[in-house]
Amino acid sequence: MTTARPVLDLRGVTRTLPSGDSPLTILHAVDLVIQPGEFVAILGPSGSGKSTLLGIMAGLDRPSAGEVYLDGEPLHSLSEDALALVRRRKLGFVFQSFQLLPNLTAKENVLLPIELSGVRDPGARATALLAAVGLGARGHHYPVQLSGGEQQRVALARAFASEPPLLLADEPTGNLDSTNGTAVMTLLEELRARHGTTFVLVTHDPALAARAERQIHLRDGRVERDELRASRPGLRSA
Amino acid sequence: MTFGLLLRQIVRDLRGQGARLVFFLVCLGTGVGAVVAVAGFSRGLENGIRDRARQLLAADAAISSLRKLTPTLENTVAGLPKDVEVARTFELVTMITAGSSTAAAGEAMLVELKALEGRYPFYGTITLAPERPLTELLTKDTAVVAPEVLSRLGLRVGEDLAIGGERFRIAATIAAEPDRIGGTFTLGPRIFVTKEGLDRTSLESFGSRVVRKTLFKLPPAGTREDLERLVATLKAASNGVLEYRIETYAESQANLRDGIARVDKYLGLVALLSLLVGGVGIAQTVRAWLAGRLDSLAVLACLGFRPREVLALFLSETLLLALAGSLAGAAFGTAVLGVLPLFLGDLVPAGWVSAWQPAGVLRGVLLGLALAAVFSLPTLLAAGRVPPARVLRRDTEPLPLSRLSISVVLTLLFAGVFGTALVQARSALLALQFTLALLAVALLLAGVAALLLNGLARIPRERLSYRLRHPLAALAHPGSGTLGSIVALGIGVLVVLTLALVERSLSSQLRSDLPKDAPTLFLIDVQPDQWAGAEKELRAAGATRIDSVPVVMARLKALDGQPVEKLAEGAKENKQWTLTREQRLTYVDKLADDNEIVAGQALGAHGATAKTLFVKPDVAELSLERDFAKDLGAKVGSVLTFDVQGVPLDLTVTSIRAVNWKTFGINFFFVVEPGVLEDAPQTRLAAARVPPEREDALRSALARSFPNVTLVPVREVLEKIAALLGRLGGAVRFLGGFTVLAGVVILAGAVGATSSRRGREVALLKTIGLSRASVSGIFAAEYALVGLVAAGIAIVSAVTLSHAIAVEVFDLPPAGTAGPVLVAALSTVFVAVAAGLLASLGALRRRPIEALRSE
Repeated sequence: MTTARPVLDLRGVTRTLPSGDSPLTILHAVDLVIQPGEFVAILGPSGSGKSTLLGIMAGLDRPSAGEVYLDGEPLHSLSEDALALVRRRKLGFVFQSFQLLPNLTAKENVLLPIELSGVRDPGARATALLAAVGLGARGHHYPVQLSGGEQQRVALARAFASEPPLLLADEPTGNLDSTNGTAVMTLLEELRARHGTTFVLVTHDPALAARAERQIHLRDGRVERDELRASRPGLRSA
Repeated sequence: MTFGLLLRQIVRDLRGQGARLVFFLVCLGTGVGAVVAVAGFSRGLENGIRDRARQLLAADAAISSLRKLTPTLENTVAGLPKDVEVARTFELVTMITAGSSTAAAGEAMLVELKALEGRYPFYGTITLAPERPLTELLTKDTAVVAPEVLSRLGLRVGEDLAIGGERFRIAATIAAEPDRIGGTFTLGPRIFVTKEGLDRTSLESFGSRVVRKTLFKLPPAGTREDLERLVATLKAASNGVLEYRIETYAESQANLRDGIARVDKYLGLVALLSLLVGGVGIAQTVRAWLAGRLDSLAVLACLGFRPREVLALFLSETLLLALAGSLAGAAFGTAVLGVLPLFLGDLVPAGWVSAWQPAGVLRGVLLGLALAAVFSLPTLLAAGRVPPARVLRRDTEPLPLSRLSISVVLTLLFAGVFGTALVQARSALLALQFTLALLAVALLLAGVAALLLNGLARIPRERLSYRLRHPLAALAHPGSGTLGSIVALGIGVLVVLTLALVERSLSSQLRSDLPKDAPTLFLIDVQPDQWAGAEKELRAAGATRIDSVPVVMARLKALDGQPVEKLAEGAKENKQWTLTREQRLTYVDKLADDNEIVAGQALGAHGATAKTLFVKPDVAELSLERDFAKDLGAKVGSVLTFDVQGVPLDLTVTSIRAVNWKTFGINFFFVVEPGVLEDAPQTRLAAARVPPEREDALRSALARSFPNVTLVPVREVLEKIAALLGRLGGAVRFLGGFTVLAGVVILAGAVGATSSRRGREVALLKTIGLSRASVSGIFAAEYALVGLVAAGIAIVSAVTLSHAIAVEVFDLPPAGTAGPVLVAALSTVFVAVAAGLLASLGALRRRPIEALRSE
């Protein structure tokens, strides 16, 4: 079930950082294609370049060399403004530390991306999303009034709020106990399935990665292994 | 992002920002309050004068002069249309005594007498107690007096007093007089009599200085053109003689208005200082606020906010808070205007300045907004440069501003300060001087503070007790943020202390620095045949150092053949007055020792004799005072033509003198060669030292024997000037206090801004076993050090600056500074400790585990 255009297409992506006399290379000419609807886990030990790769996929960071296409948009050459617009329309995020805006209520946190995308009746949509993550009654609470698991569920609702084609998650259960972690992960997969969203998960937890259809192992900034785990094809193309 | 979303987001964002709002309110509130108070005050006064312009002149137009009107002018006045009303007033300073039948019989005092002819005033009313019309109560045998006359002489309405030796019955006291302004300096309280009453006294004929005013009132239907026509007719009749000052109500009080404009300018800049110091506080608050929101900024970027949308969001929020702060400041300033009269005493008549001054409020609010924008911009620009990757990596710091952005920001900052100074000073030069001076002071303060902090960092701390080691380390460690607080607090202390020291110099000069042998009183208008008797009275009163000289009144007509009118053309009003006023000439055998010849004959001599000074046989010679010569543009060899009461007289300048006026001895601008003026009509001026306890008796004795002679007590006059100055100084210091307040707020802000770091520090200190009291002690020591450093730099700068101002600008010896300096040092340290501890209160109260867990 492939489509003509991949959601993500990374070509020879290299990222170096200045460090003392010789620059430090975090990513070495990474090539990667992710098709619509895939659930991909990016695995690797600490310092393997997972987060850097995720940042570049999201247009939060720029490659030092190489090209990045998100749904056909050349992220490597867009201005900051254009990148912001791409994130607004095409990306949802879930972070390890939830990253809710502390001075907004749960509902307002969910509302913000909906309002930004200019959808009609954003309130009803935000309410529906909160109900979908089981927090229909907690919309008026501020993040500090919610438990970690609840905060992450609000973050999930926010991530799906603008119905982005691509969802990026960085250790989404890293700050949660196992019960909450499992609950959040299950919810995430449900939502993904319901919305048909492409999902890239960065983690160092093999158990979590095992839920993905495709696993990409990073080591020292290079793709060490790229393996399909389920029947669904996640094809690699050159 | 739509406008609606922007608004919604602003509202959401501002919730729970109470502390920041309070900060904005205080930072901007003090400065805007000061600006509104000053602008409102001067505007209110200006309006007060404009609204009362007719009352202040008491007429539509007036001719004022020291001389009687010329026959041409008299004829013109007599020939005016019947419906133009004419009245006259005659003002002079004279002595009065309590009537012989009263308890205080013979006691004398100095008053400002005003004699009235015709219906006066045309505008405004003189309110009397008992409340009856002036025309009804005032006859040729009665007087109405200011209440001080009664209290001073212990008299009651209905009793008698003597003016110029003649008896007058007190018919009423004056409750309000339309054309007398409290702020102007007066020699004594007011007394009204009729012109016939004045004529009974023959005071006028003794050559006293009488200000004569002829007042005109147009019929009610009179237009502006009628008034201009009237003035043109009078000006034509005065034949261009400047001595006859012809003015309409619209131009009257020019000096007063100039004074107000000056006060507005300088006080406006003092007020601006507190606003600028508040601006530093804004910058600090905004920086601290954004520092705590870097994560949120990164999240916003992830959600798709563009950098310019983030800037718009935060700039709008800042401006909204600034608006709230400015409005609060405007309310505060308006309240200050309400209580300002308490500080000004009777400088400004009650009810003149209404507290509600929309123009002042607008100015304050706009300046507040502009400065808040300018001062917060550098930080807000950085907000747009928070890399969104911070959501993944917390240690990602905002990208540095480009060099171009930094230069734009600095230019904006400079332009902002200059622009606001321009609004306040309305003079580009003054605004530029202000901006550069402020820049220099801030750089100096920052430089010295940095050096001192650097020095503190080098003190070997190992051997010190932790109580001292910790505060030293806290001050000295890089990025402690104390530099800004020190500069802001320092500027505040510097301003207030400088103002206080300069004022102290001025008033101590006036109050106590009289030379030991300076005269304690002057006698003026002594007739030549009265001098022997007056001298006897002086000696009887134990007077020493009696000195007396003849005074001949004359008018300057020309300098080197150039008519004075021509010289005065286009000159400033002050110079015109210098040229055209009645001049006092004297002749002496020997100059006093405080006269030094600086040019011409007898060069270098101190207290030259007439023999050495006047040696040219063929011309009548004149020795001219240096500053007056400069004003006039005369030098040795110039010929000054005088009109000595109708007789022309040419005098050649053969020497120029420098006079030390601080001796308070008798001195003149014009000293004429003896043998020239002896036959001219003249009076004598005398000075003497009389023991203070015998002054009253002498005043009474002189008033009894020589009712036309006026005794002017030096000490009392100086006290009055010093008191006036004190009240003005009080108002200035009051404003300067706003600057200190702003500085304190900033210190508290700096401490508050680091509250999370503080909290962790407290937690760690408590964890290792320190009690809350010990931690407070350590913090107090740290803030005391901040206060001490700020006070130290400010004090040294203020003492230097005030000495320079006293010596260079006012030509005064610097006054003692120990008292104010001690007060400044102690109060700065106290205020710094109090503000610092208050701002750390939250951190001190938290339990250690809370602070450590939140990290």
